[in-house]
Amino acid sequence: MSAVPKLADDGLSSIATQPGRGRLEVRNVSKSFEVGGAPIEVLRDVSLDVAAGEFVAALGPSGCGKSTLLRLIAGLERDYEGAITQDGDAITGTSLHRGIVFQEPRLFPWATVWQNVALGLKNSPISESAKRESIAAHIALVGLDGFAQAYPHQLSGGMAQRAAIARGLVNRPRLLLLDEPFGALDAITRVRLHVELQRIWAHEKITMILVTHDVDEAVFLGDRVVVLAPRPGRISRVFDISVPRPRERSDDDLVRIRNEVLRVLGDGEVASVDQAPAVRLAS
Amino acid sequence: MSDAALPGTLRARPALLSGLKGAVAGRLGAAIARQAASLGWLLVLPAIALPIWIIGTDRGWLPEQILPRPADVLHTLRDMIASGELAQHAGFSLLRVAYGFAIGASTGLAIGSAMGLSRRVDDYVRPLFTAIAQVPALAWIPLAMLLLGIGETLKIAVIAKAAFVPVVMNTSAGIANVPKAFVEVGETFRFTPLQMLRHVVLPGAVPPIFTGLRYGLTHAWIALVSVELLASSEGLGYLLVWGRQMFWLDTVLVAMIVIGVIGFVSDKALAVVEARLQRWRLDGR
Repeated sequence: MSAVPKLADDGLSSIATQPGRGRLEVRNVSKSFEVGGAPIEVLRDVSLDVAAGEFVAALGPSGCGKSTLLRLIAGLERDYEGAITQDGDAITGTSLHRGIVFQEPRLFPWATVWQNVALGLKNSPISESAKRESIAAHIALVGLDGFAQAYPHQLSGGMAQRAAIARGLVNRPRLLLLDEPFGALDAITRVRLHVELQRIWAHEKITMILVTHDVDEAVFLGDRVVVLAPRPGRISRVFDISVPRPRERSDDDLVRIRNEVLRVLGDGEVASVDQAPAVRLAS
Repeated sequence: MSDAALPGTLRARPALLSGLKGAVAGRLGAAIARQAASLGWLLVLPAIALPIWIIGTDRGWLPEQILPRPADVLHTLRDMIASGELAQHAGFSLLRVAYGFAIGASTGLAIGSAMGLSRRVDDYVRPLFTAIAQVPALAWIPLAMLLLGIGETLKIAVIAKAAFVPVVMNTSAGIANVPKAFVEVGETFRFTPLQMLRHVVLPGAVPPIFTGLRYGLTHAWIALVSVELLASSEGLGYLLVWGRQMFWLDTVLVAMIVIGVIGFVSDKALAVVEARLQRWRLDGR
């Protein structure tokens, strides 16, 4: 693995969040969509507690409702049954305390990297100079210094996703939601960004929830891996991954857990689950 | 530009950066070359037509009253410029287009934006708008003459209507089609409706809005000439009618050339403004 950029005095420490915040509770959440007049159940009775500073990876095949769950937590969808609270407060809409990184970078093509990240701070109460400091620090944090004035079309897929991560973090949220952020990247870039994300998580000390269908990604990054079963989406099993960090992909314990997760997901077919969505996986 | 070169060493970055700058400069150069090439192509047809015109008039293929010599047209052009006659007529026409386009485009932008932003406004306004749009600007002239007389108001109203229609259509479609993915990003940052408009919707809709404005300007010119042909005693359209009635075909040709050149230049001017607003689209057109 190549060297991770060192961050000496990066200006981030001066605007740190309060420790111990970013706890999330998901209580008996169910969600249905109306498709052609008929309701389709996407999530059934999902309950999940995430401790402050924890890294939870939600793993499952397509159609298991994992992205929907993330959109509910983000506050982008408000029509559901059950309750979701962050630090005890019910989630009623989007909030600057929750950042989100989508599968596509969703950078505004008409704005530079700097402007894209700056837009995240549009409604932040901090001073202009603190904003500039935070923007620069987060662009550096994701290793994009030198590219602040570049437009999205000038960036590679991996660089664009880094910029999106910087934008998701720039408000110093207590919770960062990642919706298959590396799904569209090539394998080499993905592995590299796993290491980067782990470093950022350790550095920021915030809660992260990652949604993915990549077993290696989930096991490598998560403190816990929550396996979801599809149609309707529900939690089928939770794995604790107590392997200390920094982790090695070849670590015996990780490999063992990974194989076990694969077995739970069903006959090792999981690696290509997305290509075979009709397969009903064991729960 | 591969991401593989990125995250590791700092040493790699200056090289990457200068590479990026080089790529940008290369793109700009290519864009200029493309412009030059398209100007070259623009001259191909005149280069073929002009010799035919010269030979045709020399050999007397057509009576001189119908097809005057290029030299005569040039002479008339010079005369009309020198006497200030051309500037006077062009000035009238330009002023009418300016007023008409300003009124048509600004109301078009306002109504088109409202239709693009609100489903309900669109539902209420679109049927009426479509009905108005389906009747060409020219067909409005007889009724408009009775309502407004044959003064400046008539001309400006007809021109405004011509510019209004394409501006509304493209603005409403452009705004309604801004990707929901971008709107959601704005939502996660708790954008107010105004911020959403300023930072997401309008920048996202710039290309179709400008397409509408350019069509609007073209239609405004067409409407201008039509309305000046029918009801005017000055302006470039009037020059055309008057020249034909007097059998001064050199005057007719001068008016045609001037109308064409002004239309071309004004469209290019809008294209330049559009390119300025979309510098992020270096590899566009």
